[in-house]
Amino acid sequence: MNRITSHPVIDQRSTNAAAAFSFDGEPLSGYEGEAISSALFANGIKRFSEHRKGAAPQGIFCANGQCSQCNVLVDGIVRKACVTALAAGMDVRTVRGVPALVADDDAAREARVEAIKTEVLVIGGGPSGLAAAAELAERGFDVVLADDKETLGGKLVLQTHKFFGSEEDCYAGTRGYDIAAILEKKVRAFPNVRVLANSPVLAIYKDRKAGVYAGYERYVLVDFQAVIVAAGARERSILFPGNDLPGVYGAGAFQTLVNRDLVKAADRVFVVGSGNVGLIGSYHALQAGIQVAGICEILPKINGYKVHADKIIRMGVPVHLNTTVVSVEGEGKVERITVAEVDEGWRPLLGTARTYEVDTVLIATGLSPCDELYRQALAFGFPAVKAGDAEEIAEASSAMFGGRIAALSLAKLLGRRVEIDREWLDKREVLKSRPGDVIGREPVEPGATWKPVFFCNEEIPCNPCTTVCPTESIRLRPRKGSLLDLPYFEGSDCKGCSACVAACPGLAVSLVRRVGDDRAEARIPFEFDASGLGLGSTLPALDQDGRFVADAELVDKKYYKKHRTWVLTLRARAEDAVRIIGVRVQDEAATRPLPTPRYDYLPDDAIVCRCERISVGEIVGFIKENEIRDVNQLKTIRVGMGACGSKTCSVLLPQIFKKAGVDPKAVAPGTIRPLTLEAALGELAGRIGEAGGLAGDDRVAGDDRVAGDDRGADEVRVAAAEREGGRA
Amino acid sequence: MPLALYCAERGLSVVVIEKNASWGRGQNRAAIGGIRATHSDPAKIRICQESIRIVSGLEAERGIDVEWRAGGYLFVAYDERRESAFRDLLAIQKEAGLGIDWIGPERVAELCPGIRKDGLRGGTFSPGDGYASPLMTSTAFHRLARAAGAEFRFGETVVAMKAEGGRVVSVRTDAGEYAAGAVVNAAGSDAAELGGLLDLDLPVHPDCHEAGVTEPCERFMEPMLVDIRPDEESGNYYFYQTTTGQVVFCITPKPQIWGKDTDATSSFLPLVSRRMTELYPRLKNLKVRRTWRGMYPMTPDGLPIVGYPREYSNLLLAVGMCGQGFMLGPGLGKILASAIVDGPGVAPQLFEELSLYRKFEGMELLK
Repeated sequence: MNRITSHPVIDQRSTNAAAAFSFDGEPLSGYEGEAISSALFANGIKRFSEHRKGAAPQGIFCANGQCSQCNVLVDGIVRKACVTALAAGMDVRTVRGVPALVADDDAAREARVEAIKTEVLVIGGGPSGLAAAAELAERGFDVVLADDKETLGGKLVLQTHKFFGSEEDCYAGTRGYDIAAILEKKVRAFPNVRVLANSPVLAIYKDRKAGVYAGYERYVLVDFQAVIVAAGARERSILFPGNDLPGVYGAGAFQTLVNRDLVKAADRVFVVGSGNVGLIGSYHALQAGIQVAGICEILPKINGYKVHADKIIRMGVPVHLNTTVVSVEGEGKVERITVAEVDEGWRPLLGTARTYEVDTVLIATGLSPCDELYRQALAFGFPAVKAGDAEEIAEASSAMFGGRIAALSLAKLLGRRVEIDREWLDKREVLKSRPGDVIGREPVEPGATWKPVFFCNEEIPCNPCTTVCPTESIRLRPRKGSLLDLPYFEGSDCKGCSACVAACPGLAVSLVRRVGDDRAEARIPFEFDASGLGLGSTLPALDQDGRFVADAELVDKKYYKKHRTWVLTLRARAEDAVRIIGVRVQDEAATRPLPTPRYDYLPDDAIVCRCERISVGEIVGFIKENEIRDVNQLKTIRVGMGACGSKTCSVLLPQIFKKAGVDPKAVAPGTIRPLTLEAALGELAGRIGEAGGLAGDDRVAGDDRVAGDDRGADEVRVAAAEREGGRA
Repeated sequence: MPLALYCAERGLSVVVIEKNASWGRGQNRAAIGGIRATHSDPAKIRICQESIRIVSGLEAERGIDVEWRAGGYLFVAYDERRESAFRDLLAIQKEAGLGIDWIGPERVAELCPGIRKDGLRGGTFSPGDGYASPLMTSTAFHRLARAAGAEFRFGETVVAMKAEGGRVVSVRTDAGEYAAGAVVNAAGSDAAELGGLLDLDLPVHPDCHEAGVTEPCERFMEPMLVDIRPDEESGNYYFYQTTTGQVVFCITPKPQIWGKDTDATSSFLPLVSRRMTELYPRLKNLKVRRTWRGMYPMTPDGLPIVGYPREYSNLLLAVGMCGQGFMLGPGLGKILASAIVDGPGVAPQLFEELSLYRKFEGMELLK
């Protein structure tokens, strides 16, 4: 089984009830309630369907309920493996071409679509949606929060790293999944918030109702007065031949498999894109015991935070700049990737091609906001605000602030007299700012007592080191006058407690002290399992840029439970000790290319529309032949006609038009229509068994689950006002 | 577009002015794809017979696949009232030479395995009718028309028309002015507004219908299945399986919703899926992929208005298709191209029956 049984920062699942199921008739075992996709990956199965076009094998892409590439047959019905919970006895099968409709001719049950009423519908329960719901609830609004996952927190659930930002504002230094739990608990405690978990919103309608797919099986119409769209973002696909082979998928999907479901999804990955998602995803791979052959970035510069990049590089993962993917190949699955440097027109220089043997290629080339429902609400003239990644792709820390601000903006739209604190707006701006300047630091001389060394050179919004220092000796030195400023050791009072070392999200603080004439000790953070490292052994110590410094002796190690971080004390020559900030984790052999590259260069074969499997070449040809200037016309060749509703391909179309010699600005955009996700006719008719209940939420399943809730909007408002009055 | 194609092929120079960004983006985009000749009105029967000939021949004659399939139309009866209405109509339809007949419940269940059998009395089945992809068909006509020399001006809206001596002499758009020997108003749901530019009162009023499409599944039903029984919230509804295996469906809301609002409403999906799964229980597991809403430019009697108004001898009206523009368009385009070139004498009966000056009494039975 490909399960992660020990992980340096993630606890094992508390309950692991085994569920026996079958795949194509073969008996397998997974865990009750986990995503079918994760159960299949844990059993080594990555090929979920064969496309009706050319029987091309397909695997997962987003693992986030968005793209539909992970469809499997579950008891004869096509389901997205990534959002369908495994249950014992399931008959799971490969979807081959177009499947038969199950001949279930039992007379239809009585139809009844539930309706509920609320003041504010919050779509999305990630950091911004949760923050918005809490802020609205505090002000007495009746809120329904609908999220498409079972566990609230959005992508925080996948984030095993410590967060940037500031401790007081956004739980900096705390790991993402812990922040998710804190926020969820807070929101669920409000009596005036009804949470519909595992319940995506399928549509917003002209008559100011939203169609919610509760538990992915019950259709519920939510009558709302205003809406906050905090639906997050989806991963962008990119174009290279082989981009739909099983084993090519999003870095976020990878984090879902590895961090949420503890599945060892790969043996060796290659990562495309050096933004924070790619960098962090690589780090998560290493922590899960998965090799990272390399990261490629088409730009001349790393796109994410420098501390993230430094961290990865000093674990032994090379970042190849000015480099793009030429091809991903293999027999029905990823077996190798070929990359090459690019010329000034971003075209690959095939003479520089290098081929790496990997079983997985992670796409981390950016996110697109899931803001369709916001645009729809606006078009209908409803009071609507967006927040979080749906508004602007940024860090979760800024999303939390953004959510609160969105809540207040909406309250204003609804006629409440509220002031939005200027300070909040400033903080949100700071928290989402792109990295500032890279600033050099004076070399540190080790002294007789401990003192910190900062490997933190790039201005990013972050300060946990300053707040954890018990003697308050670490302070941001004003330059920008904001959270972006860099920390410095101001004073002489370091107790050597290592709190800053363990808390720094960037793993960019060490402590040093001199021991003897030319020897010194360095205390460095280590987020891998150090329990097996013997004191007295030597470790390959690296500097900030991943260069080998020395084989240093491990003289002490200590586990900081709060931060789930080891602090290792290494002894080396004094001039070396001040440079040490990491220990090589990955063997260099994992990052070596094949002696000679091995690939075919067929860029027109890249798949644009994954659902309908339509290539670059086909679309370019059609655009030229028919003088297409309207995205809607691409439906003639079925582009965007698939299950995902063009969510995945639409962002790629501008570059396709360009390739066909058409200015994308001169092209009429595609029309967005319901539904955001597919739902069955029986479900939409309200013919689903009564036993289900709304997403296991007692309050909703109880007295609020009234067909056509007759509690009027005014009544809700009165109730809300009373609550507010009661508090005042 | 078919008219543009056939006019260009008859040697006329043709300019098509379209306010949308590209072809077929008026109501054609919202058509579900059915094409049948089995109407109750002789003019429509003739036009649609021509349409079927054209569309079914596109692949063989022009090498363009538009996913045509002669799956037939099946109007099902679950009560005596519907059965006798269909049987009465059958006599007229057979007289008109249409390939249509009554079939019993067993044959219905053969054509539509899984359809509800209790109370099923049978239905009328016309195997020569069928369906095609409106998107592919309009793209095909655009391509053919362009190849034949027709010019298309997309994104241009007609703002004025000038008439002199009983003729339309020019058409002005927001981008330019055009003069032509003949001007055709084929503006679908905007036909009345366009008529208004010439002070013509065209009784064309759009109402709105929502439609949807499912995921694909292996072919399980052949015909376009029509259930004309109304209930409290709806009139008839109909659906078929495309050649790609998807089920496309549509329902007539009750009361009718007049106007040009094409925004999605929350009542459509629960309503249409309740009725479809009642009639055809196994559809309950089929997933809806996308919905849309389009307009039926209605006339008072459910028949199109075709012909030259008394005031303007060179203005041809081809309006009020009543939601059947996709099936009427190809045949009508071909007939009207002949009429423009050879004179209205090519189809006198059609011009008389569909005249703007008819009485507009009654309502077409199979609307």
